[in-house]
Amino acid sequence: MQTGTYISGVAHIGLVAWMIFGGTFRSEPLPFEVQEVSVISSAEFAALVAPQAAPDITPEPAALPLPDAAPETPEISATPDPVPAPETPPQTAEPAAPAPQPVTPDPLAPLAEGTDVTPEAPEPTIDTAALPDVPRRQPRPADRVAPTPIAPPPPDARPDEVVQQETAPSPDEADAPAEDAATAPEEAGTEIATEANEPPEEVLTTRVTRSPRPLSRPAQPTPGPTQTAEPAPASEPEPEQAAEAEADPVTGSQDAVAAALAEALGGASDPAPAPAGPPLSQGEKDALRVSVSRCWNVGSLSSAALNTTVVVTVAMNQDATPVVPSIEMLSSDGGDATAARQAFEAARRAIIRCGASGFDLPADKYASWRDIEMTFNPERMRIK
Amino acid sequence: MTRYLVALLAGLSSIATFALQVAAQTQGPLRIEITEGVIEPLTFAVPDFVPDGADPNGYGAQLARVISADLSGTGLFREVPASAYISQVTDFGAPVQYADWKAINAQALIVGGVSVSGNNLTVRFRIYDVFSGAEMDNGLQFSGSLDGWRRMAHKVADAVYSRITGEGAYFDSRVVFVSESGPKDDRRKRLAIMDYDGANVQYLTDSSAIVLAPRFSPTGDRILYTSYESGFPRIYVLDVGRVQRRVLDQQDATMSFAPRFAPDGNTVVYSLTQGGNTDIYTLNLASGNRTRLTSAPSIETAPSFSPDGSKIVFESDRSGSQQLYVMSSAGGEAQRISFGQGRYGTPVWSPRDDLIAFTKQNKGRFHIGVMRTDGSEERLLTASFLDEGPTWAPNGRVIMFARESQGAAGRAALYSVDITGRNLKPVRTPDGASDPAWSPLQN
Repeated sequence: MQTGTYISGVAHIGLVAWMIFGGTFRSEPLPFEVQEVSVISSAEFAALVAPQAAPDITPEPAALPLPDAAPETPEISATPDPVPAPETPPQTAEPAAPAPQPVTPDPLAPLAEGTDVTPEAPEPTIDTAALPDVPRRQPRPADRVAPTPIAPPPPDARPDEVVQQETAPSPDEADAPAEDAATAPEEAGTEIATEANEPPEEVLTTRVTRSPRPLSRPAQPTPGPTQTAEPAPASEPEPEQAAEAEADPVTGSQDAVAAALAEALGGASDPAPAPAGPPLSQGEKDALRVSVSRCWNVGSLSSAALNTTVVVTVAMNQDATPVVPSIEMLSSDGGDATAARQAFEAARRAIIRCGASGFDLPADKYASWRDIEMTFNPERMRIK
Repeated sequence: MTRYLVALLAGLSSIATFALQVAAQTQGPLRIEITEGVIEPLTFAVPDFVPDGADPNGYGAQLARVISADLSGTGLFREVPASAYISQVTDFGAPVQYADWKAINAQALIVGGVSVSGNNLTVRFRIYDVFSGAEMDNGLQFSGSLDGWRRMAHKVADAVYSRITGEGAYFDSRVVFVSESGPKDDRRKRLAIMDYDGANVQYLTDSSAIVLAPRFSPTGDRILYTSYESGFPRIYVLDVGRVQRRVLDQQDATMSFAPRFAPDGNTVVYSLTQGGNTDIYTLNLASGNRTRLTSAPSIETAPSFSPDGSKIVFESDRSGSQQLYVMSSAGGEAQRISFGQGRYGTPVWSPRDDLIAFTKQNKGRFHIGVMRTDGSEERLLTASFLDEGPTWAPNGRVIMFARESQGAAGRAALYSVDITGRNLKPVRTPDGASDPAWSPLQN
């Protein structure tokens, strides 16, 4: 303990002594250069720093120098000057671009009143001027792209969350390298094949193979020839679904969820009575409206019928023609029975006439337009 | 984890499918509203009526031509020419080949038969809606004398017109008018009567005196008119059947004119000028009692009853310019109904009680127009140098009026126009014509 104190005391004493007597050990001063200067008088210095005198300002600017020969104003003559022939540039042996064909305007009709003498217009000459050599614009420098893609860096190896047992190739697999060599290399594939394309078996059974579409409406008891064309009710295909489920070794598995999903999406095997499809778009509705409007003739209607709005129902065949006997008046508003009858007959004629060759309706949406309710409102057609 | 996700997806898909099915089942019919149509004549075909036996005078063909002219003349129908027919009608009772008539775009088909027995003519017909493939109501049959075949043709046309359009009939009607001949400064005027289409013109008076403003009685058997036979305008009533006339309201130092029957046919409303003032009076034809309806210092004239006889529309310059007024048929305060620019005159109440036709003069032009009975929705149907004197067809759909052309050689003629302003056409008359008055529908 005291040894350390002694050592510290000696060291501090030595340091203090070096600080006090350190000048004894100073080195020589740094060398410096001395430059010769000349001494000038104050007059010479004043002459050096004196400001330059400002230029004199004259009250009037000096007249600009006139050009040697001023251009004379051309006189306007009564007759136009002959148009000088355009200078033909020196023809080149091979024009850079094909010469455009001259456009000859149609001669104007002679004026009734005007100058007697019309100047002769010089004959148009065919311009054969070669295009000047314009330096082609150089493309902007771009980064050079290697003809072959650079191999991506190896992905960072991350530890798998699931600890798997280390596997080792069995001796049998190791003995069969020829089969691997027979398969095509991955680079030869037409599309990128990832492991997602090879799902496990249970995922394959629930995979959505088609988009679900709305089912068609059940058959209505409305009479008409379309009834004979309507297929069987939708309840019949159920046994087929069951048979399919049993016959399909995949869906016949014990996966109840997959079976429920397959049942929910089982529209493919459901023989719909008619193409259901999505509802009609607004454009398709407008097209139908315009088609009927073209044949809705209100010109022969009475004033009372023109004040009557009728609602007409019509059943449609799959070929978009109306079922004529099905055209009925659902309701009327604004007129008496006679006016309503006239209005309905005009509406019926419109439907039959313009529907004779079939309306422009999408066949895959038949369920949407199998029954149509048309309101014929002649408000805009009334006598104003 | 994956199994739970699959189960969730399956459940959502099931719900979505169920919702779609419910939506499909609850979805009603496709609903569209049509507010725009076309205004064009309705096409029709009227083959010659099939004669049942001998038809030496060709009544079958003549009937078809008059029917076609009646319908086409309305502007609401257009005939398909016979040259376009695919099938011919040779038997009135034969089934209709709808496909053949559809192919030529005949929307209506009129098939008729005619039989002549002595002086009796029988006409029967049926109307078919070609595109619906059905007959429109039941057929009809008319019988009459041979010389009345045109009336029977008009009757058939009336039935077709009313059945298809819903409007009232008007073809079987007559028009009385003032026939004019001679130069403009020396016109000779006489009363004449004709079918609505200008056929069968007959003169009721000679041209010894100026006659004006004839008007039919509600039954069509009498005509009121104004004559200058005595030097002053006087009102006469003429029996059409017997061509006998008598003067009405003969008073000294008075002028009576512009008469018109009340709907009951027993009262006449007219203007009477006495002491320099013109007012409106009514006269009971049975009792001869006269009633003064207006007492203003201005000129009140051209009265016309409403169809129910409760109101009278007339023209008056009490406001400083010639305007239209409506008052009770018993007189009293009148209400002005015309407020447009120009002068209004000769108002006539529509037989349908919905409009009032009038003559309007504005900016040097004459117009025939219509307005609601309250003066609203005024519409001018014509415009020319001189249009005046409108008269309503019995169905209130067509207006006939007189139009005079400009100049010393100007000639008055009759025209008709639909209340829509369409189908303006002249009515053929042997001479110049003015002051038309449409009769009611004949029985």
